[in-house]
Order: sequence, then C-alpha cells, then structure tokens
Amino acid sequence: MTSTIERSPVKVRARSQRPDRTGARAAPLFGLPAVAVVALLLYLPFLWTTYVSFTSYDGLASPVWSGLANYKAMFSDPDLVGALVNTLLWVVGMVTLPVALGLLVAVLTYGHKWGTWLRLPFLLPYAISGVAVGVIWGFVLQPDGALGQALGFFGLPGAHTGWLQAGPGNTIMMIIAVTWQAAGVNALLFVVGLQSIPSEPLEAARLDGADGFKLFRFHLWPQLRPITTVVVGLSIVGSLKTFDVVWVMTQGGPGTSSETLALSMYKETFVLNDYGQGAAIALFLSLVTFAASILYLRYQLGDAREQG
Amino acid sequence: MSRVKTAVLIVLGLLWLAPVYLLVVNASKSVDGYDAKTVWKPAGFDLFANFGDAWSKAALSDTLVSTTMYSVIAPVLAVLVGAAAGYAIVVLKLKRGFLWFVFIFGGTIFPLQMILMPLFSGYANSGLYDTRIGMIVVYTAISVPFSAFVMRNFFTGIARSVFEAAVVDGGGLFRIFRSIYLPMAGSALAAIFILQATFVWNDLLLGLTLSQSDSVRPIMPALTGLQSTYGGAALPTVLAGGLLVSLPTVILFLAAQRFFSRGLALGQF
Repeated sequence: MTSTIERSPVKVRARSQRPDRTGARAAPLFGLPAVAVVALLLYLPFLWTTYVSFTSYDGLASPVWSGLANYKAMFSDPDLVGALVNTLLWVVGMVTLPVALGLLVAVLTYGHKWGTWLRLPFLLPYAISGVAVGVIWGFVLQPDGALGQALGFFGLPGAHTGWLQAGPGNTIMMIIAVTWQAAGVNALLFVVGLQSIPSEPLEAARLDGADGFKLFRFHLWPQLRPITTVVVGLSIVGSLKTFDVVWVMTQGGPGTSSETLALSMYKETFVLNDYGQGAAIALFLSLVTFAASILYLRYQLGDAREQG
Repeated sequence: MSRVKTAVLIVLGLLWLAPVYLLVVNASKSVDGYDAKTVWKPAGFDLFANFGDAWSKAALSDTLVSTTMYSVIAPVLAVLVGAAAGYAIVVLKLKRGFLWFVFIFGGTIFPLQMILMPLFSGYANSGLYDTRIGMIVVYTAISVPFSAFVMRNFFTGIARSVFEAAVVDGGGLFRIFRSIYLPMAGSALAAIFILQATFVWNDLLLGLTLSQSDSVRPIMPALTGLQSTYGGAALPTVLAGGLLVSLPTVILFLAAQRFFSRGLALGQF
C-alpha cells in the first residue's frame, strides 16, 4: 500500500475513500482476539452452566437431564432458602448503610477546607482486598476480641457476644465490615456528583435562607439523582456477588447460617460435587444481576433522554 | 455549623481508622507475647519478623511472584486486546461494529460464579488447571470487556482526520495502531491497567477454583489458607500477612486516586 501511494500520486485524490475500505477489510483481524477470548472463556462456559443447571451432574458421569428439579430444590431446600434470605439481607444492607454513610461523608467534606484529608480515612479501606477485610474484621469480632473489649471498657452491653456465631447477626456484622470497606468509594462518587452541580442556584437558595438540612433535601439531593443511581446500581450488583469476605470470616457457617447464594454456589459445586445444583444457583444469580443491571441502565438512559 | 461538621468527620474518621490501627498494632506483636485480652494496647515491634513468618508459612514468596506476574501480564494483554478491538470498531469501522462491541462488553454481565464450573472442568481436561498460563489466560479474558469498553469510548473522541492523515503518510494499519493510537491513549490505558491489576491482585474466587499448588496459587487464596490453618494460634502472623498483601494496592491506590475515581465513574456498574 505504501508503494502505491509513492508511485502514483494521482491516486491520492481517492484518499477519502481508501482508509475506510482498507480498514474495513483488516478490521476483523484486530477485533478477533477480543471476540475469541470472550466467546471461549465467558460465553461458552455461560452456555454450559445454563445447560448443566437443568441436569443432574456430579462432574464425572455425563449430565442427565432433570428439568427444573434443581430450581425446585433451590426454593424448597431450607439451607438454600436461608442463603436466599441472607443474600436479600446483603442487598438491603448494601444499598442503605454504605450509601448513606458515603453520602454523609461526601456532603460533610465537600467544600470543607480539609475535605480531601478528612475523606482519606474512609478511602483507605477501599484499597484493601475483601480477603484482608475479612481477616481484619474476623479478628475484631472474635469472641471477647477488639469489639468486645471496647464495649466492656465503656461499660456497654454485649461485651461477650459471639458476633459471628449465629444468624442473622453474623450476616449483619459482615455487612458492617463491608460497609467499612465500601463507604469511602461511595463518598468519592457522591463528591463527583456534587462537583457537577452548578453553584449559582445554590447561592440563590442560601440567600433565600435555606441552610443545612433544607438546602440538602430540596436542592442538593434532587440534583444528585444520577450519581445516586450509579452508587445504588454498583451496590446491588456488588452485594449479589458477595463472596470473599464471607468465605474468609465464616465460610458460610456456623452450619449454613451465613451462606449467601454466591457462596452456596461454590459449596454445592466444589465441595458437594452437585454441579447441577450449583449451576442452577449461578444462573438464578445471573438473572437477578441481569435484571438489576437492566433496571439500572434504563434509569440511566432515561436520564440521558431527559437531558437531550 | 462548620465546627459540628468537622467534629462529626473526625469522630467518624477515627472510628474508620480503628480497624487499621488494630491491624498494624497486632501485626507488630511477637507471636509468643501476643495476649488476646489486650488487643488495643501496642506491645513491641516485631512486624518484620511476622512478615517473614507469614512469608515462609504461607509460601508467600512463590505466591507473590505468581500474583505479581498475573496482575501485570494479564492486564497488559487485556489492555492491548481491548484496544485492538476498539481500534477495529471505531477507527477501521468493522462491519456491524456496534453489535460486536455489545458482544464483547456483554462479557461483563455474567457473575464469576456462572463460568467457574465449566472453566474448572475445561481446565482440568486441557491441562491448564493449576498452571500459571491458565491463570493468566482467565484473568486476561475477564479484563478484556471492560478494556474494550473504555478504549472504544476513548477512540471515538479522536478526530477521523488523524487516521486519514496517517494513511496518506503511508503507515500500515498495524503501525498506525502501535505508534499513533496506542500512545495517544496513554492515560486511558493506565486507568484500565490499574483497575484490572487491582482486580487480579484481589481475586479470591478464580484462584481458589483454578489453582492448587503453592507456585501457581495467587496470594489471596494463600492468605485464606494461612488463616484457616493457623487460626487463633498465631494471629499476629495472620494479621501481618493481611497487612502485607494489602500494601501494594493501598500504595497504588493512594498514588493513583484520580484514575480510580474516573475508572469507577466510567465503567463498572
């Protein structure tokens, strides 16, 4: 191609056409690796799991078609129903606690003289992995551990509670641990949202005598809606997948009292070798995640349309 | 009002730092002198001895080498593969480019759980199970959709005339990609790299499922192994391990805070 251009400058006139044609011909070569890798390692396994979820399969003999049996079991097995309830608890917990705290921290630090520094303690845990968060909080919450000792020191009740030893308390404590990790990043996102709010209307509202809570409720909060959608969407999807913190802190126990669906899926497949059941849980989890994402995207696109 | 704000923030902030304080203080206690009844009081400074202890007990040196490999090589590959896809779709105008883009990006929808079991079986049958290559391949695949997403968006913002000029200057398509489009995308590439490297470093589930031996297993499964084996007996060691594996991401995070927030706002939903 290079030589063509050098040899006959006349052809240069056709150049506005040429890049598209040569480009389109070579384009598949550049796109192929991404498509191949995604098809082979994400889509193909996805289809296989979908198929296996309708079978009885132990990973060794061939899968035997069993229709909806695995799904029926999921909604009747008390352990799995418990995991379902815990997962719901996680969703509710994660769209309230870290979101509210993140918002609080963002509103308090935004425009504050030392805002960036005061936000830092909340951001630090975000950089720590779920496994390390589990290790730290497992230590804090062990019987008569750091939390118990602190409560005892202040003469508060609960000093000798086994925080992780019974449901639903153990799930709630783990939600608090993840709140500790996640609030900071929500605060960061809310600050980004606050920065995008024009300052003139706010000044006007202030002059009209709006302050503190009123200013927040009627002026800031409505304008934060797009970013709130992002934060809530992230929280829902994240909470459905919760695995590492629970795995490290309780492995779903004692018994199955703190299992989430993400954890049940792992246990059914890799501990109990009930591949079919594990696949059914995985597919159910995917459908819920998918539905949540669609709802969230529709919200987002709705916003975009309003703004033209 | 502003004083109340500051006071609330300081109290909350201290509360938030308490677990970090506990981690550092207790990871610094000597294993023999550790007393479960006084976890709030600092005592001695054996942090580096405990690092060493965690290092040898969890075979962290092997693990650390593998994990570093995974969290550098896989994101680099993913960034290149994703950028090539973005280039094909936006710049070279791949036929039905948008559909292909949706196909690639659709890869982010599945929860990891959905692909674990087939990957495990497939890896076992093809000899990829418990190999470093296998881990790199899967981490790359997971990171490609997000990378393609960001790169497609980024390339959309580059004027078409850049490409036309390059073609007129006689550059081959591959050279244009390598020496014009990739360098221009520096900051986007860095943002994706950092996000995906952190993801790989922090991964537990894939490591737990697809690897077994000390030399292949990534660091997070190794740390959980350390915790369950040594339980309450050597808590300072476990905590030192937790601190050790957190240092790289904490440092990376503090150094590149801006990238993180931008990347978050951009892509993950």
